[in-house]
Amino acid sequence: MAAVRNGQGSEGAATVAVRGESGAAADQPILTSGAALSILRLTGGQLLLYAVLLILLIVTFIPIVYLVALSLKDNGQIYGRFWSMPDPYRWENFALGSLAIWRAVLNSILTSGTSTAATVLLASLSGYVFARHRFPGKELIYTGILALLMIPPILTLIPAYVLILNMGLENTYWALILPWTSGGQVFALLLCRSFFATLPEEFFDAARIDGASELQSFAQIAVPLSAPILVTVAVVRLVTTYNQFMWPLVVISSPKKQVVAVALTQFTSEIGVTDLGPQMAGYILASIPLIVLFSFGMRHYVRGLTAGGLKA
Amino acid sequence: MGLSTQRASNKRRSSLNRSGKPLSQGSGLSGLRPAGRAVLFGRAAGAFALAATILLAVALPLSAQSPEGQLWEKDAASRVQAVALSEDGNRVAVGRRDNSLQLFDGSGELLWPFEAGNSILGVDISPDGQWLAVASEDRFVYLLDGEGNELWKFKAARPMNNAAVAGDGSLVAATSDDLSVYVFDNQGNLLWQEELGIGVRAVDVYGSGEKARVVLGSDDGLITIYNRDGRDLLRAWLDYSVVSVSVTPNGARILAGAGDGSAILLNGSNGNQIWSFRAEDTVKSVSLASNGASALVGSEDGSAYLLDGGGMLMHRFRQESEVLSVGLSGDGSRLSIGTVSGAARVYDRAAALRGAARSSAQRQRTLIAVVGVIALLLLAAVWAARNTAAGQQLWQRSATGPLGVMQTMWSARLSYLLILPTLALLLTFNYYPAFSGLYHAFTEWSPGVRTEWVGLANFQSLLENRFFLSGFRNAAILVVVSIAKTMTMPLLVAEFIFNLRNRFSQYWFRTLFVVPIVLPAVVEILVWNNIYDPAIGLLNESLKLVGLEQLTRVWYGDASVALGSIIFIGVPWVNAFALLIFYGGLISISNEIIDASRVDGASTWRRFWSIDLPLLMGQVKLLLILNFINAVQTFELVFLTTGGGPGASTYTPALELYYKAMRMDRMGIASAIGMILFFIILAGTIINMRFVSSSTEYEA
Repeated sequence: MAAVRNGQGSEGAATVAVRGESGAAADQPILTSGAALSILRLTGGQLLLYAVLLILLIVTFIPIVYLVALSLKDNGQIYGRFWSMPDPYRWENFALGSLAIWRAVLNSILTSGTSTAATVLLASLSGYVFARHRFPGKELIYTGILALLMIPPILTLIPAYVLILNMGLENTYWALILPWTSGGQVFALLLCRSFFATLPEEFFDAARIDGASELQSFAQIAVPLSAPILVTVAVVRLVTTYNQFMWPLVVISSPKKQVVAVALTQFTSEIGVTDLGPQMAGYILASIPLIVLFSFGMRHYVRGLTAGGLKA
Repeated sequence: MGLSTQRASNKRRSSLNRSGKPLSQGSGLSGLRPAGRAVLFGRAAGAFALAATILLAVALPLSAQSPEGQLWEKDAASRVQAVALSEDGNRVAVGRRDNSLQLFDGSGELLWPFEAGNSILGVDISPDGQWLAVASEDRFVYLLDGEGNELWKFKAARPMNNAAVAGDGSLVAATSDDLSVYVFDNQGNLLWQEELGIGVRAVDVYGSGEKARVVLGSDDGLITIYNRDGRDLLRAWLDYSVVSVSVTPNGARILAGAGDGSAILLNGSNGNQIWSFRAEDTVKSVSLASNGASALVGSEDGSAYLLDGGGMLMHRFRQESEVLSVGLSGDGSRLSIGTVSGAARVYDRAAALRGAARSSAQRQRTLIAVVGVIALLLLAAVWAARNTAAGQQLWQRSATGPLGVMQTMWSARLSYLLILPTLALLLTFNYYPAFSGLYHAFTEWSPGVRTEWVGLANFQSLLENRFFLSGFRNAAILVVVSIAKTMTMPLLVAEFIFNLRNRFSQYWFRTLFVVPIVLPAVVEILVWNNIYDPAIGLLNESLKLVGLEQLTRVWYGDASVALGSIIFIGVPWVNAFALLIFYGGLISISNEIIDASRVDGASTWRRFWSIDLPLLMGQVKLLLILNFINAVQTFELVFLTTGGGPGASTYTPALELYYKAMRMDRMGIASAIGMILFFIILAGTIINMRFVSSSTEYEA
């Protein structure tokens, strides 16, 4: 019963919180509506909502709890006592797991980080130019860039792979960094341009009068003012590239240069670890960069995905 | 994670969501809408068409190429199961499934044929071409002389699967399907025989006279060197079954091909591993030059790999089907390759390598092509300025003819300079591959070897490809299911959370439902793989626990439930991203509307259908299109779970694309699949956009 009991355990806090709140919830309706009957009816409905949400939450968390439980067991515990709690806790699984994937995690951080930095730099520069400059052919070039939004990665996968082969870049970090930088720019450029366009013209006029060059007004006015949107672009790109699977699978063949998403799937074959525990621990460790990123960047991530979408 | 700060951030987000709307309406996309859209699309289409023509023109000269370095080729309907070359490459023996063994000279002239009682499984030729050992499915091993006369034959209990002969013909070794090895002298006397009890088909002989040694590799990964009397001198273990061995005449180096696709070079004196090379699929045959300075590895992936003395790949000879047998002449200058489709080819090594060098010149041409396209696009911009309506306006504005435009462009040179890196990257890694993909969908494409225009043949072959067709059916199912998943559960949960009366629990439920987003997408699939594990998975164990043992099964291995299992992954499908989008939409509905509905006495149910859902149409459509695009390209989900199996039951087009390109090297067909998917996505997007604009009246 380990996994299930565990699951309830982790929800325990939420249950308590809910119970603590249901008293307060009962108070609230009194302020808005007076009739006792309607309070009862509403509370009944609320209880149903809580029940359904809790059940869904528990089911959602079963795989995660299962993952954590397995990561703390050894093979004997898994095969012999499947339903029991880890006993003893095999914390060394995490040491073994980290041995197997630390390199891939570093590769991922390096390639995602570099390409994100480059994307933000290039997209903000060209976003600035498209928003603030006038030059012949501007709209044509911009439309040409936007048209790329219609091209799905599956169409370019093979030709881009052949291009990388022809450039002799296969199995290098460049094979990841360059296409990711390039592909990420389109959407980033869209966000940056629309944001830069909202900045008041007066700021730039004032800067020009004070003798600032174009690059100065970009670096000292536009960038600081648009920091939120740039952070958004960065977070979205980091998450997207960190999760990339198919492209690294195609262009990177050496396990030493492989990124974490692919390395996890080759865990057993490449490193010779066959125990489930360390493998599961590796899965958890691979999530750490995303946990760190989301713990402060979730807001930006969500905004990046919702703003400028096809919704408008 | 203090509560107060989180609340603050919650508020901030909601306000941003509200203010996000006017922002995105002023964004670039909205520039595409009503008035300017037709013109802009027209311009974009013009740019596309122009660039496509240019790329076609650039790509065409690349297409006319013949296989590099090939001397001659013998085709027959029967698969080539054994080839061998003499020291100077002037004797080439080719054994086929149709029982025939043919000896050719260096120019491809047939010297003599030989017929066995059944298909030829193995052949070896001495360096001087005077002795040939032949193993056949008719259970005999034959020793032939250089003129094709049968000197003797020996019969085993089961078919002989391989044979080897010493340089002076003094020793013949043969392996058989009866799991034994037989060793004979020149007269056909059985010197010794050993029953290994395990499959064995890798055998080679080195040395001469009394010093002749037999090298044997078996299915348990053991490589053994025996002397003439059958005493074993050295043993080395590999991790996988040994399929083929080849040894230098002095015995210093042993090359072994293994079932996992690796070719491993061992030191013949101590059995230590020197290097290993990895092919993409099982190695069927290996051959080593006399000096050990080059090696040829034939693999089921349809390639023969020519390696140098350090195990580095010098050239890859791509064939149209699995390579069953390879031979390398003693000096390494000639090589022969036999394939399943019945072709026996002989290549000249030097010419082949020159061809490879030429293909690196082709890389440069690619580069030049890209630069050329950039230049031509610039020209196109000038052309557009002269001949299109919008360009004319610009023209008028700048007033003074071409010189004026040039002047404006020159004075705006900083702008061009700043967007140049962006444009260069996009043209190289996005535009060029897109057009290259569209063009190569009509070609037989083997990069670096040849590119041949085949018209619609790729699409025709896809129509007969049951994996692709089944993939299409599955993709359709996955699209429908994925849209259904995102439109129901996350919306339901968002609505439920939104209807909770308590802010605190709203916040916690929303946060907890979003937490799983920190797991990389791949990890979620891998954990579910474990849940479905037939031996020790959570699902089967749970079923056993509640007494439903008869329901347990191999979830991915059962064609009737495999696709269902894949779809079931991630239950209850409360996708964090969709949830946040719906929830964001709900909290941006103004309180006045909701209060008004309450005053009018509308039930929650009524409110959902009449207020929430219409106001969420924007979100619904965003998720609709994103899910459609992603589901059409489904790859990881099947690649990491069933790999398309069992049979073709869970194939998707993207998976077939990957297999065609990476495992079978059919880049042309892969491009055709990509092109089909592109047009499907394009059509879906356009339909969705129409749908959006017709219903935006709900907003406002």
